[in-house]
Amino acid sequence: MSTESQIQSFRDTYAALQAEIGKVIVGHTAIVENTLIALFGGGHVLLEGVPGLGKTLLIRTLGEVLDMPFNRIQFTPDLMPADILGTNLVMDTDAGKRAFEFQRGPIFAHLILADEINRATPKTQSAMLEAMQEKQVTAGGELRKLGEPFFVMATQNPIDQEGTYPLPEAQLDRFFFKIIVGYPSADELTEVINRTTTGTKTEVNKVLSREDLSELMKLVREVPVASHVKDYAVRLVLATHPKTDTAAPIANQYLRFGSSPRGAQTLILAGKVRALAQGRFNVSFEDLQSAALPALRHRLIPNFEAEAEGITTDHIIEQILRDVPVSAEAVGV
Amino acid sequence: MSELQIIQETLARAARRRRVERGLRGLFVGTLVGALLWLIAIAVFKLAPISNEHLVWCGVTAAICPFIGFLIGFWRKSSLQETARWVDVKQNLRERMSTALEVAEKQPPGTWRDLVMHDAASHAQEIEPRKLVPFSFTKAARWAVLVLVLAVGLGLVPEYRSKAQVQKLADTKVIKEVGKQVAELTKRELAQRPPALEQTKKSLEAVSEIGERLEKLSLTRSEALKDLASATEKLKDELKQIAKDPALKKMEQAARSPSGRNAETAAGLQKQMDAMQKQLASQASNPEALEKLQKDVEKVKEAAKALASKSGESADAEKQKLSAALSALSQEAAQAGVQLPQLDEAIAALAANNTDRFMKDIEAALNDLDKLRDMKQKLEAMQAQAEKLGKDLAEQLKNGQAEAAADTLAKLAEKLKSANLSPEEMSKVLEEVSKALPEAKEYGKVSDLMKQAAQQMKSGDKPNASQSLADAAKELKDLMQQMNDAQAMMAALENLDKASMCVGQGQGWGQCQGKKPGYNPFGKNPGNGVGTWGEEGGDWVENYGEGTPYVDRSALNDRDQFGKSPSDRAQNDLTDKLQPTKVKGQFSPGGQMPSITLKGVSIKGTSKVAYEEAAAAAQSDAQSALSQEKVPRAYQGAVKDYFDDLKK
Repeated sequence: MSTESQIQSFRDTYAALQAEIGKVIVGHTAIVENTLIALFGGGHVLLEGVPGLGKTLLIRTLGEVLDMPFNRIQFTPDLMPADILGTNLVMDTDAGKRAFEFQRGPIFAHLILADEINRATPKTQSAMLEAMQEKQVTAGGELRKLGEPFFVMATQNPIDQEGTYPLPEAQLDRFFFKIIVGYPSADELTEVINRTTTGTKTEVNKVLSREDLSELMKLVREVPVASHVKDYAVRLVLATHPKTDTAAPIANQYLRFGSSPRGAQTLILAGKVRALAQGRFNVSFEDLQSAALPALRHRLIPNFEAEAEGITTDHIIEQILRDVPVSAEAVGV
Repeated sequence: MSELQIIQETLARAARRRRVERGLRGLFVGTLVGALLWLIAIAVFKLAPISNEHLVWCGVTAAICPFIGFLIGFWRKSSLQETARWVDVKQNLRERMSTALEVAEKQPPGTWRDLVMHDAASHAQEIEPRKLVPFSFTKAARWAVLVLVLAVGLGLVPEYRSKAQVQKLADTKVIKEVGKQVAELTKRELAQRPPALEQTKKSLEAVSEIGERLEKLSLTRSEALKDLASATEKLKDELKQIAKDPALKKMEQAARSPSGRNAETAAGLQKQMDAMQKQLASQASNPEALEKLQKDVEKVKEAAKALASKSGESADAEKQKLSAALSALSQEAAQAGVQLPQLDEAIAALAANNTDRFMKDIEAALNDLDKLRDMKQKLEAMQAQAEKLGKDLAEQLKNGQAEAAADTLAKLAEKLKSANLSPEEMSKVLEEVSKALPEAKEYGKVSDLMKQAAQQMKSGDKPNASQSLADAAKELKDLMQQMNDAQAMMAALENLDKASMCVGQGQGWGQCQGKKPGYNPFGKNPGNGVGTWGEEGGDWVENYGEGTPYVDRSALNDRDQFGKSPSDRAQNDLTDKLQPTKVKGQFSPGGQMPSITLKGVSIKGTSKVAYEEAAAAAQSDAQSALSQEKVPRAYQGAVKDYFDDLKK
């Protein structure tokens, strides 16, 4: 298949995925779009929102439209790492003997829904670290590769802090996007009522196979990026580093730690997906700007002053976007 | 055309247009800056006394600003990549152009490169550089027009100048003019009469430098007066040093007399007289006869003018009369020994009715008569001068005729040199030298050399006697040279004095009533003063400038030379204008006024000098005294106010 037809296939698939998910998910266009961007970018997604906004439904629907193994893990405080990764059990062999045999946990799937991930203990949460970054797990002293592609779609509830364990920074950094799920509008809510309180059940079709997804993910990485666009991504990330020469004033004031290099990688990858999805063959500044909030908000650690004043990382990122110029030539200097 | 070429061509056109547009923006900003600068300069000029030179500089800078602005804007050439990035933002092309250029440069031909290029080229074709970079008036241009209008409007407003500022400007102008004149006159003096002494040359050059300093720098009146006073003092001191030589005093006295001034040698004078007599040889008439003749010719001329307005028979009769009168005049001139061929030509012209020719001949006759009369008068004056010339060495030395004396000494030295000099002739020479010895006493070294020569002649040592006389002649010539130097310094001093006067009075060089130009310090009455200044036999150098020439001392006599204060002038003698009025003290109201008793001369009678002139001279002196800090600090303000009030 030629690149041109691959690109066309990407656009079609992207549109089909949006359409299929849209059958189930009312509104939340941007959330769906960002989830798909993370999917084609090969990254994990953390969905944060109060209960009942359709986070789990969105990911479950995604699992349904993607023709690949999908597992759901409900995180609870008593969940153990082995419950996720798997464990060695004594099993009867065909020869009538007993032997230890590794029983795979739910992590061994291509799409994982980690529901309410912050309810698990840090010990259990840490079990996800290797899987998310290395796409492998070490269990029973043995390294086991996970299938490609591998996505973790996690959800968490920002309220009900009792009995929850905030995700450690190392794990947060492994998420491609952190997407905030907000309340639906009046029209959307009406539509939700209409769809869920009647007898009709919406069926979704499988749109994308695992192999095709892998091909399209490779295609995404080939999208060219101009040097000054890359430079902009770098400058955006550097501006989040407090107490450095490149820091934006607001970063110095309200941040304890800035974004890791994964932030810049995410910006570029997300930009590439967005460019392709919009029918372009190159990444623009706007692509990076639109990806900045979901890509960076979970990577910035605000300081006490920010928390005391109620300054969120979203506010800081928006200010940085205003402070960092796209490029000297572009603004006509 | 390939897709890359399409992109590059579009971007190149956009870059060119953008460059011009930047130039225009720079031009407008430059115009605004220039207009603001000009507005500020005009505003400052209207309120404060900045010089025209500064205003011109501001104007030139303001005029240059737009060009500089244009150059700054136009100078920088944008690369294609820069233009591509700018076009991307301007046209919202989502970095298509810049990415295409970069991909074309870095990636080998292939699918992605082709896709990106194709996409960018399709957008490039839609770009119209004229629409992309329109030329229009910017905000800066509109503001510049407004500021220029304001500046023009402000230019029509009359400038405000306080009295002090006006005075200062006038002073500066006067000081510059005075400086120029002093420098020019001194330089001319140096060029025409190069001084013999190095010291004199340096002094004159210093005066010239003072003039240049006044001309070039913007000095206040006080500073200028201070400089002039300092230069004058210095020059006076040097002049005093020169004047210490007693020989110069004698020469100076001689120089004051008409015979001594520009004293010619007897031979030179005789030569000139001979030449004149040769010219007048055929014109033997005396001046009275010439004057009569001239009057008669003028009468004929008047009659000829009257004839021009007449016609008919009466005109013919008048013409006959005129012709007869002219014939009589011609005969009269011939009898008086004056040749006037123009009269005969005039008669011929009258006969031929050629009035113009006739009038020209009459005019020519009158001119000839004028010249003849002048020559006669000059000849008589020279004859009188020749009579006064010393006949021998003693008389020449006595009269201070240094040049003539030097010539005589040189001739005597030559005589002594000749081998066949008879004892009688030698004794004659000795006699002439011995006779002149008492008169030579005042000539310093000349006297010694002459004595030496006399002794050598007595002892028969002719060669050495000749040498001594030659040395004496040389010494006399050196003295003359010194005299010339002193004259040059006097002229410079006179210029400085006039300059001080001009600056003090705030008048230009032409209007200033200083000492007369070309003032001769050896004159009988130097300057306009009529007191003891420059009296015959007085010390001209030491007296120079001690008193102002404008003070009328005509009523002075010897018994009034001593201080008499206060004046014994009767109150009734005062004119109405000079009636005293009571003025309240200003130093410490109610307290006693500080007073200084000055030695002075009480003057009776009516002044011959105009009040304004005397007041101006007094002001100048006061300014000079103030600038030299001769007046105590506590009284300076009062003195200045007093003399300023005199002006009003």
